[in-house]
Order: sequence, then structure tokens, then C-alpha cells
Amino acid sequence: RAMELPPSHFPAARAAAVAMGYLRYLRGGPGRGLHLRELRRARRQDIDDVGHKYYLELELEDVLDKDRTVSCTAEVLYPLGSKTSAPDVQVTVQGELRSTEEADKEFYNRIRSLEKELVAENIPDSHGNVPPELEPIHRLAWVASGYLIWQNSTENTKFHLAQVKHVKQVKRSDEDLQFDYVLLLHEMVSQ
Amino acid sequence: HQVLRVVPQSDEELQKVQELQDLEHLQLDFWLAPRGLGLPVDIRVPFPSVQAVKAHLEAGGVSYSIMIEDVQALLDEEQAEMLRSSRQLPRDTETFNYEAYHTIDEIYSFMDMLVAENPNLVSKLEIGRSTENRPLYVLKFSTGGTNRPAIWIDTGIHSREWVTQASGVWFAKKIVQDHANNEGVASILETMDIFLEIVTNPDGFAFTQTKNRLWRKTRSKHSGSICVGVDPNRNWDAGFGEAGASSNPCTETYHGPYPNSEPEVKSIVDFVKSHGNIKAFVSIHSYSQLLLYPYGYTTTPVPDQQELHDVSAKAVEALSSLYGTKYKYGSIITTIYRASGGTIDWTYNQGIKYSFTFELRDTGRYGFLLPAKQIVPTAQETWLALKVIMEHARDNMY
Repeated sequence: RAMELPPSHFPAARAAAVAMGYLRYLRGGPGRGLHLRELRRARRQDIDDVGHKYYLELELEDVLDKDRTVSCTAEVLYPLGSKTSAPDVQVTVQGELRSTEEADKEFYNRIRSLEKELVAENIPDSHGNVPPELEPIHRLAWVASGYLIWQNSTENTKFHLAQVKHVKQVKRSDEDLQFDYVLLLHEMVSQ
Repeated sequence: HQVLRVVPQSDEELQKVQELQDLEHLQLDFWLAPRGLGLPVDIRVPFPSVQAVKAHLEAGGVSYSIMIEDVQALLDEEQAEMLRSSRQLPRDTETFNYEAYHTIDEIYSFMDMLVAENPNLVSKLEIGRSTENRPLYVLKFSTGGTNRPAIWIDTGIHSREWVTQASGVWFAKKIVQDHANNEGVASILETMDIFLEIVTNPDGFAFTQTKNRLWRKTRSKHSGSICVGVDPNRNWDAGFGEAGASSNPCTETYHGPYPNSEPEVKSIVDFVKSHGNIKAFVSIHSYSQLLLYPYGYTTTPVPDQQELHDVSAKAVEALSSLYGTKYKYGSIITTIYRASGGTIDWTYNQGIKYSFTFELRDTGRYGFLLPAKQIVPTAQETWLALKVIMEHARDNMY
């Protein structure tokens, strides 16, 4: 059945990173930056002919709403033997996340009012600085990297967004905003 | 205050902008005055006038963009930047800025100042030279004796982990301060020496400052590959070349052609062997907030597993007590992953029982690019954990 894993050890943390990537992709935005505060519990189940499934209980925070604790459960299934298939992820967020309507509108209007398309690089810079006006752009990069991390993770990888190398706003004829990012992902072979 | 930019495209538009110049009560400050069609006009608009100016322009069908959202914020930023980048060399270790990241030259000059200010406590040893011929310096803190049992601390072996070198600088000053005030590690220095290598990988560090902020390895070139660098934490003679390192020179965990191929590693190996009396060895990395003990190259637990686990628990508790920073701990292989040829696996096998590795802040939000304002809090909390390890070594001589 399901084996209990120490939440402090990386096998569980790797699955949590996938869940976070998926969650940022789903629920993140220029007005919402979700981070993992703590992995409370992790279990693993080996399903014959299917793969390894991780059951996680996570405690999150929204960087723009730090006083609130958000609980979340997630299931991460790594398909057996597959190098090309993304893990299957289900997440359930308990309770409400802070509304981003106002922040999104402000971001949208500000970008629309720029005379030239936005271009920026090295976010954060070498010293860890993010200019305040680029923070929503940074949070948007977390959304994009969330998708990449989810799609490219295996049971043996743990990806983080290391830096936004370059971001360029793409001119559009309609009213949508489009950004092209070059992102640096760090695969956790540190130590 | 905001700075608006208008680029008049017609005579009508130009006139509308010029009209603004006459409205003195708006207190507008033209950074770029109207000069002609197609040329930008930059206007600093005090907050009370922002609405009126925008209304005036909009009524005339003149488009504008917000160049600077908030001038004050920018000024504050610039001040901070100037403070950061004011490369006036500090006159002494009191005026040195511990809350900023520094260059190799600044750190080496800091070391010299520290030695000059405390000649009876601190000396600088050159234990070797890097691939690019940079000196490898170790600070020795000693109150006397001959070849006393010693503690070794290194930072910056992976060059991109900038909070570690910065913490090393802080540790050096802290040791001197404790000794002067006869508190903290002063009692440890009565019977033990402390060795501190702050810039353990200077070639890599220089590269992170000039070419690639996220460089990890050394900068050695070994024949047969165009790729540069060896992972100095896979180059030690403990399970060298086994699973947990890469034989591909183009990867981040390339172990190198043979153990100790890297002068940065060899010089420490030679130092440790010739010293012969090191009792605790701590190698500092970032990020992940972990305290780890051997092994990484095998699942076999070390004989002293229980003791190291207990010391880790105490050290982590001390660390958390300051700012609530949460750390996890355990052996390398069970806590993170298999890694072969690692520093503390080698030092443990040499008989240095208290061999530990730290992974400092944070857990991924900024990762290697940790904001400078977190340097001092990180160093302060880490120091509490280091003291637990040092005191345990002193009280459990072997």
C-alpha cells in the first residue's frame, strides 16, 4: 500500500517540486506568487504496471498574502519507465487564495501604457535584486517555469527557476499581452 | 512623482504639449523639452498634477507613456545601488560592508586587513594555487600552542553559492570579535585552532563575477574535451568515479580525470594530511537549508551515525532559534541523493569524525541569487550551528 516518506528528504521534496510547478502554472500570475512553506506529509505507492504515486500534504504561501496559510493536497504519479511522459498531477487547494483581480488589472494597464515593448534581463540580478516594477514579470516567469518543471520532471530530478535570463514583450495587434522568456532552470545537483 | 513621455507626431500635438509649459501651477519639470516632431518630451509630473496633465493630453488626443512610475522609489534604488557599488576600499574591517557581495580583490584585501589588525590571533596561509594561478588562502586563528587540534571551515567551493563566501567573511570577523570580547568561540580558541578558507574556488568565483553568474565548477581544461571545469565536490578520493558523479566533462558534476586532479582540492588534501590534527571539518554550500553528514557515495551508514545525527539535531535547533529558519538534516545519501567523490566523505574516511556539510539559505525562492540583505542573518544563524559543532568537538576529543 502507501509507504510513509520522511518529508525532510529529497525523494518527497522532488515530488513536491513537481506539484508546486503544476500549481504555479494553474494558479500563479503576475499578482500571485505561490511558494512552498513546508511539506507536511508524504507517502509513496508503487502501482504495478503503472508507476510510482506520491501523496503529499503541503503548506503554501502567496508572497503577496504572507499572513495567510494555504493548505493543499497533491498526488503526483510518475509513469513507469517513461522518459517522455510528464508526471500526472492532481492538486486540491483548501480554502481561498487572495484575489488577484486588482493586481492583474494594474499590471495589464501598466504594460499597455508603456510606449515601447518591455524588455528586461537577469531577474533577479547577480545580487538577488528584483526591481519592484519587474516583480509581476518575475512572478509570471514562475508560472511559465512551473509548466516546464511539471512537464520535464522525473522521480530523480528537482528543478527550480534559477533566473530569468531575458524577457521580451511581443507586439500584438489585439489586446492580449505576450511575453517571450528565456529562463534558466537549476536541476538540483548542488552540495 | 511620475515621468511621462510624449512623442508629438503632429503640429497640433506639439502645441498641446507646449501649452503644458505655460501652466505654471502644475509645477512640471521638463527633463526633455519639446524640440520638434518625432522627438521625445519627458515630463516629471508631481503627484497632485498627474491627473490634470493626463486629462490635458488625452483631450488633445496626445498619447503618452509612463516612463517612470515612481521617481522616489527610483532614487531610493539608486542610492542603494551607489552604496552597494561604491568601491571605495574600506579602511579597516570595521568599515567593511558585511551586507554586500564583494569581489575577490575586496575579500583578499579584507583578509590582509584582518591579519594586520590582529597579528597575534590571525595569520594568512597560502596552501596552493588555482588552475589560473590564483593564490589559495586560508586564515588561521590561533592563540598559540603547537599544532593544536583544529577545526576547518571552507566556503565557496562551488563558486555560484555567493552567500557562502560572504558568510565566510562574516565568520572571520566574528571570530576576531569573540576573542576580543572573551565570549563565544574565545573559549574554543584556548585549546583549538580554527582554519577558514573563504574563497575555496577563486577561478570559479572570478568567472561568476565576469562571465557567468551561475558557474559552479573549477576552470580547469583537461585534454580531450572542449568543456571546462571539474566539480570540486566530486573530485575527492572517496568512492571516486562511482555512481553519483559524471564522467562527462561538459556536465555540472564532472568528477575530473582522477582524484585530486584539481589544485583547489589537492591543496586541501595536502594541508589536512600534513596537519594531521584536524578534529572537525565543515564544508559550506548553498542552497536548500540542510545540515548533512557522510556518506554520499554509499548507503552504508558511518559508524558514528548516531552521534553525528544527535549533533546535527542540536546544531539545527540552535540555528533556528535566531530567525526561525527551518533546516533539515541527515546523511547525504538518504537526505538528498547519491554523490560520490565528495569532500566530507573523504575527510571522514581520514578519521575526521565531525565532518559536516551545510546547505545555507534559501529553499529555492532566490536560490543562488540570494538578496544581499540576507547575508548577515544567514551568517549569524549559521554561526550558532557551527558553534555547536565546534564545542562538541572540543568537549569530545578523540
